Amino acid sequence: MRQIKGAEMKALVADTGKLTLVDFSASWCGPCQMVHPVLEALSAEMADKVSFFKIDVDESPSEAGAMGVRGVPTMIIFHGGKEIDRQVGFRDKGDLRKTLEGLANRFLTPGKV
Amino acid sequence: MQFHLPQDNPGSDSAVDLAIAGGGPAALSAALYAARYGLDHIVLESWQPGGQAALTALIENYPGVPSVPGSQLAATMKAQALEAGARFTTETVSGVEPLGDDLMVRTGTSSYTARTLIIATGAAPAKLGVPGEDRYYGRGVSFCATCDAPFYRGRRVVVVGGGDSAVKEALHLSGVVSGLVLVHRRDTLRAEPRLARRLLDCPTCEVRWNSTLKAITGDEQGVTGVDLDTPSGVEHLEVDGVFLYVGTRPATDPFRGLVELDARGAVLTRNIVETSRPGVYAAGDVTSNGFRQVVTAASDGARAAWAAFEYLDDRRRH
Repeated sequence: MRQIKGAEMKALVADTGKLTLVDFSASWCGPCQMVHPVLEALSAEMADKVSFFKIDVDESPSEAGAMGVRGVPTMIIFHGGKEIDRQVGFRDKGDLRKTLEGLANRFLTPGKV
Repeated sequence: MQFHLPQDNPGSDSAVDLAIAGGGPAALSAALYAARYGLDHIVLESWQPGGQAALTALIENYPGVPSVPGSQLAATMKAQALEAGARFTTETVSGVEPLGDDLMVRTGTSSYTARTLIIATGAAPAKLGVPGEDRYYGRGVSFCATCDAPFYRGRRVVVVGGGDSAVKEALHLSGVVSGLVLVHRRDTLRAEPRLARRLLDCPTCEVRWNSTLKAITGDEQGVTGVDLDTPSGVEHLEVDGVFLYVGTRPATDPFRGLVELDARGAVLTRNIVETSRPGVYAAGDVTSNGFRQVVTAASDGARAAWAAFEYLDDRRRH
């Protein structure tokens, strides 16, 4: 999972072929450190459906503010540049995977309900 | 004594002597003791690794550790358990059924046959159930001051609650925010006197006694205010953040029907860690024990591992 600067975000989340998850996190936040391995594992397992990026809110405060992030970790999921879901706080792998699979089914395979 | 031999990779349908459900201090302590007793065990880490302790800014009452961030204490406990040989997997228990004298412990992805079980799944912060709470979660509504305080530098916030957690986290926030109002439904704080005094002396803090939060208001960006019900009528406060510490809800859904629960949904225990079912123990905030501290959770976990060890030993002899 690559750490990006806030300014890079807009171009990266515009992808329509895959979903993009941006994890807004901070070095001082306990739950962020705990969710990190979950995201690393999912980024390998779901590479065909979801791209994962991390933004440090201390390095990119204006982007975090613009997205209405007022807590970490906040994971925002995008498709085609639009926010389609937001998860706040620690999520375990099974739980997050289920959410992402559900979103992938909805947004990546048109015609299928 | 003959125990199951530990396996390197417990996968689907593994058999263990002891399954420990949870990831906070109670589970970590149980894991440490289970590993040291040589029990074939698996820790099924659920919800928040480190439990509620990991969300606590500073823990100042764990004996031997004068002052430590909760996440650091939890990480140290886990490292100590791992060092002793504890085995962890990140799977949330979804249900448990009796299987003869054993138990079938199911998770989202696999299942384990366990001879004994320690329920240490803790408790999650309770919600108030007021308008705006869900809508603005993560956009001004928070259950974790430690995680979110830096977003409120120079801003105004309310904290709801009057117990140890509410007051401790309010004190943590008070060092960052420009103003803080603690909303409490009683006329005295339930928090330990030392903490309560610090809050009452804090220059940036106010308290609304005998008051309740009725609604959280906001716009596209997030929370902009709250409506309070106070003895002098409805009061609207303009704030950017709402921190809720209104108690906890025991995480016992997967254990309904397996063991007796009290009216709150906590696992009823006797002799501190014994549940209504032999071979199933409970430890920490998930229990009906009442006093919910990191030190009591750790103590419960140790007792539960010991009780499981004794039970297994007894079963083997008869």
